[in-house]
Amino acid sequence: MNDLLFLINTFAGIDRQATIIVIIGYMIVFLALVLLYLVFRYVMPVFFKISMYRRAAREGRHLDDSEKQVLTGEVNAAIATALYLYFDEIHDFESNVITIRKVSKSYSPWNSKLYNMRNLER
Amino acid sequence: MRRFITVIGVLVILSLTWTAFIKPEKESKQRNETELVTDNKNPDLVQQDTDDEVAFRGLRKFWEYSGFRNATKGHLIMITVGLLFIFLAIKYDYEPLLLIPIGTGIIIGNIPFYQEGAVNLQLGIYETGSVLNYLYFGVLKGVYPPLIFLGLGAMTDFSSLLSNPRLMILGAAAQIGIFLTFLGALMLGFAPPEAGAIGIIGGADGPTAIFLSSRLANGVNILPDGETVRNLIGPIAIAAYSYMALVPVIQPPIMRLLTSKRERKIRMKPPRAVSKTEKIMFPVIGLLLTAFISPSSLPLLGMLFFGNILKESGVTKRLAETARTSMVDIVTILLGLTVGASTQADVFLTPDSLLIFILGAISFMLATAGGLLFAKVMNLFLRGENRINPLVGAAGVSAVPDSARVVQNEGLRADPTNHLLMHAMTPNVSGVIGSAVAAGILLSFLG
Repeated sequence: MNDLLFLINTFAGIDRQATIIVIIGYMIVFLALVLLYLVFRYVMPVFFKISMYRRAAREGRHLDDSEKQVLTGEVNAAIATALYLYFDEIHDFESNVITIRKVSKSYSPWNSKLYNMRNLER
Repeated sequence: MRRFITVIGVLVILSLTWTAFIKPEKESKQRNETELVTDNKNPDLVQQDTDDEVAFRGLRKFWEYSGFRNATKGHLIMITVGLLFIFLAIKYDYEPLLLIPIGTGIIIGNIPFYQEGAVNLQLGIYETGSVLNYLYFGVLKGVYPPLIFLGLGAMTDFSSLLSNPRLMILGAAAQIGIFLTFLGALMLGFAPPEAGAIGIIGGADGPTAIFLSSRLANGVNILPDGETVRNLIGPIAIAAYSYMALVPVIQPPIMRLLTSKRERKIRMKPPRAVSKTEKIMFPVIGLLLTAFISPSSLPLLGMLFFGNILKESGVTKRLAETARTSMVDIVTILLGLTVGASTQADVFLTPDSLLIFILGAISFMLATAGGLLFAKVMNLFLRGENRINPLVGAAGVSAVPDSARVVQNEGLRADPTNHLLMHAMTPNVSGVIGSAVAAGILLSFLG
């Protein structure tokens, strides 16, 4: 380690403290993410397995292999696609009439000319 | 490739122009001194207050206060840079949500106005009492970045990370760019706190870069030798956001250079389904672990994991919705605009800024290469379907989700049926955590 520091300091002209910051800093970043990895790779699955067995025991049933099966993302995606396609094919009843129907009442009291005219006494 | 050449070409031309007119403020001062001398030669002009002269003086003052009179080459260069940002955002769709506010901010911040002597028109971002100055407070004191992280947490789905946590290590590997650039900046003569702030550009995370530079290179802190640290927030933020926007331009050539065609075709195991409990546990455990290791990164990581708890808990939908939509949009507008406006030509156009841009580019490339090479090293110990497609390592630089998208595109280019997006999201989000931890470490060592 000291040799490495010496080499970096000599060739790069960087002071020893900066090199130490770099080495320790990079190691800490690794440590933080490796710890997270270890927790979620090894600790959490054990935790989940224990809680699953305890729940099964509390409910008085045996945990068989079928319950432990986990659906992969691909299977989920296939199910979701199948459902989407199924629902996509279901249509409401369509009249098949495509012509634009003219609105029979094209005026209302708001735009009728009669209502806008003053009824002058004769 | 054409895009790459266009962008790089424009940047080179701008850099050359920049170096040619590096001290615009000097010219401006000289010009004003000359005019002052001319004025002093005619003291009688002030005393004879005829109507014509009053009108003439008014017109003259108007001219003195106008942008045309105060414009320098520096202002024009910066306005061109702002226009370039807007052009890149609209034409090539490079991070438009960032580049449009920043580009407009650059134009606003570089509209020339009267700045002589002790006159404070309360217009510029560095003038006390101006609206922009008040908004800039959020950048200067590091208020905006944690709020952005809150929104980021509320919109990030960590299930890809939970389904294959091994890829998290790639997010750590890519942070090599930060530390090597720190060394590079020291070699170029920057003070250690400034070098730390410059190095964080390699994290490819705009809010983290602003957060760290506002603490280390804010123009306020005093160095051990009695000198004041330089204010590098503007150049660092602009460099970080520019390179984030240029991810689709910078990363692909490095990815192709460091990986073989066979490696790019590696298919990875599909991610497994993740339970709701796991998703809730992740932000809690993540917060505790990372904050205990690096408490200095608490403002960023605390908010990131808080946002994720809001999302995953399922009982605070309204808060999560606000955090990931309206709030993050408001903060992005304010952050982009003020960071852009902070690039006032007289502060921004210095040799230091040019060096920061060069170091930032190197940092970004090193980070990409670090992630790619580490994935290749991991492959030496992995067999069969556990092998990692090294392209995924490039997503270890944060730049969420652009770098993951670039990995997906490069993967599809090698094999049109190989989708790497979900795999790339793991190093991508762990890169955010990694760069925030790195920022915390640099802050605790150099702050």
